[in-house]
Amino acid sequence: MMAKLEKFLMPVANVLTRNKILSAIRDGFLVSVPITIVGSIFLLISNFPVQGFLDFMTSIFGAGWDSYLGRVSSIAFDCTALLSCLGIGYCYTREQGVENKIAGGVVALVSFLIITPQRMEVVVEGAAEAASFSGLGFTFLGTSGMFLAMITAIISVKLFCWATQHNLVIKLPDGVPPAVMDSFASLIPAAISMFVFFVIGIIFSITPYEYAHYFIYEVLQAPLVGLGRLSGFELIYQFLSTLFWFFGINGPAVTNTVFSPIHKALTLENYEAAAAGLEMTNIFTAGFSDFFCNFGGGGSTLGLVIMMAFLGKSNRMKNLGRLSLPAAIFGINEPIIFGLPIVLNPLMAIPFILAPCVNTIIGYLATITGIMPVTSGVQLPWTTPIVFSGYLVTGSVMGSVVQIVMLALNILIYYPFFKLLDKKYLEDENANSGVVDELEDLSFDDLSLD
Amino acid sequence: MKIVLIFDQGLAGAGGKSNPNVGLNAVKGGVGTALMMESHFKEIGADVIATLYCGNEYFLNHQDEVVTKMTAMCKKLNPDFVVCGPCFNFPDYAKMAAMISANILTKTELKSCAMMSKENASVIEEYKDKTPIVIMPKKGGTGLNDSYTALCKYINVAVNNPAELENIKAEVCYK
Repeated sequence: MMAKLEKFLMPVANVLTRNKILSAIRDGFLVSVPITIVGSIFLLISNFPVQGFLDFMTSIFGAGWDSYLGRVSSIAFDCTALLSCLGIGYCYTREQGVENKIAGGVVALVSFLIITPQRMEVVVEGAAEAASFSGLGFTFLGTSGMFLAMITAIISVKLFCWATQHNLVIKLPDGVPPAVMDSFASLIPAAISMFVFFVIGIIFSITPYEYAHYFIYEVLQAPLVGLGRLSGFELIYQFLSTLFWFFGINGPAVTNTVFSPIHKALTLENYEAAAAGLEMTNIFTAGFSDFFCNFGGGGSTLGLVIMMAFLGKSNRMKNLGRLSLPAAIFGINEPIIFGLPIVLNPLMAIPFILAPCVNTIIGYLATITGIMPVTSGVQLPWTTPIVFSGYLVTGSVMGSVVQIVMLALNILIYYPFFKLLDKKYLEDENANSGVVDELEDLSFDDLSLD
Repeated sequence: MKIVLIFDQGLAGAGGKSNPNVGLNAVKGGVGTALMMESHFKEIGADVIATLYCGNEYFLNHQDEVVTKMTAMCKKLNPDFVVCGPCFNFPDYAKMAAMISANILTKTELKSCAMMSKENASVIEEYKDKTPIVIMPKKGGTGLNDSYTALCKYINVAVNNPAELENIKAEVCYK
């Protein structure tokens, strides 16, 4: 059965991981991750879930101190479509094999801005009519522009690369500095992309949508993000991610090609709701996924590593557990993925797949029953240890409590399988120590090196 | 059929990057990643009699010692085949595996191969004519199970049907 399953999953993984567009989208989003994490730190400080801390900051820096921090978090979150467009453009140029990757990224960014509304209306209190100003609005550069940014980056870079690869370039004589050469070589390809998006902008302006933003949001982004609000969304994501890992395939690298834009949009919508003073409603954010479904590494293995370190009877289990524990606390489980091993080890498949799924259900139930608050738009590094992460991402100590409950459940789920494997290793060790043969005391110390 | 495995500390289950300086070790039977290869070995009637390993940094700091002593230990154990891998895309381990396998083939009568992913391009380029290097995916890549099947196919032919070795090498190893 496992062989049949692998035969089915392998082509799926191949298609998803080798598809140039999907890979570019997945990797392009990663470009903005450091910015979002730094922005989250600023956001966390300005909204720290302890009133005493906020009062203390106000007493030192005065009222409105948080608005300075907001300048950083706002750029990190409200410009996410812009950053993603640049990142995806860059990565798709790389996937297309064109050398001047940054030129591709910039062309994507510019194409996106060409079709973005460049006049914003503002309602001025007391004025009869809304005033307008020339400029770009965060409304179109943040979450709501994200899917359009993806599509724009792919189309504009495709055109850019097509023109470059078909030699529609201006060639300067040898001896011209390479930077100047590259810049002129990009001129015609960039012009083609920009012209196409200029035309697209005009076409949309004569439709009832007026702008591509409204069209894509309505027909694509809203329905897809709506899928992310379905109760089974996260469960499917977690199940598939660990199932792929079991066969040695980096699960999230495959599933994120499809799920990551939706996770990102859900997370940012929560940020925007909080910033607007509205209730956050999306449960399955990136923070929920990282810290309530799959902590301690793929398969939510922290509980397993704790048992290996403290309950293991075989030397192999004990030693590997103790060596792996420090990394496991920070969400890294590579030593046991290959060292225990978990990959291709049928015995560990059940708990490895089951634990994240159970966590997802518990986290979902805890959220909808109000035991813990909805996870915010804050994006912490995935290496943040549990308890801290649960508190910071929900702003409530109940987030940490739910994580501890999950950890206890994970220990229970892994326990019978851990015992079976530990017993097997112990038998191996005892069998080895009972039989005297030349393999018994292998040592490099008394080795003849002739 | 008796097999000896040569691992780094991560695959041996002696800790990953947190334990890079672990010295030369030899244990009876298969440990760590050996378990995921067990069912494939069974299909060709092979048993892992011992696993030899050391940390990646220990290897980098004691390259001659590691290669010489691993080779000597293999000679002492006298298996039917030595597998230096699977190295995935781990560069230090790939270098260690290629050097040891090449040395075993030069200095002993034993049969051996290395196994790594294409990301170790410079090691493959340098050693592919000195030792067979079986193709495998990088960590998290697709086709891990198939690559173990290919490895066992190679081992089986090398031990039981050497006349066919060049054909199978062309099929499963880097050219």
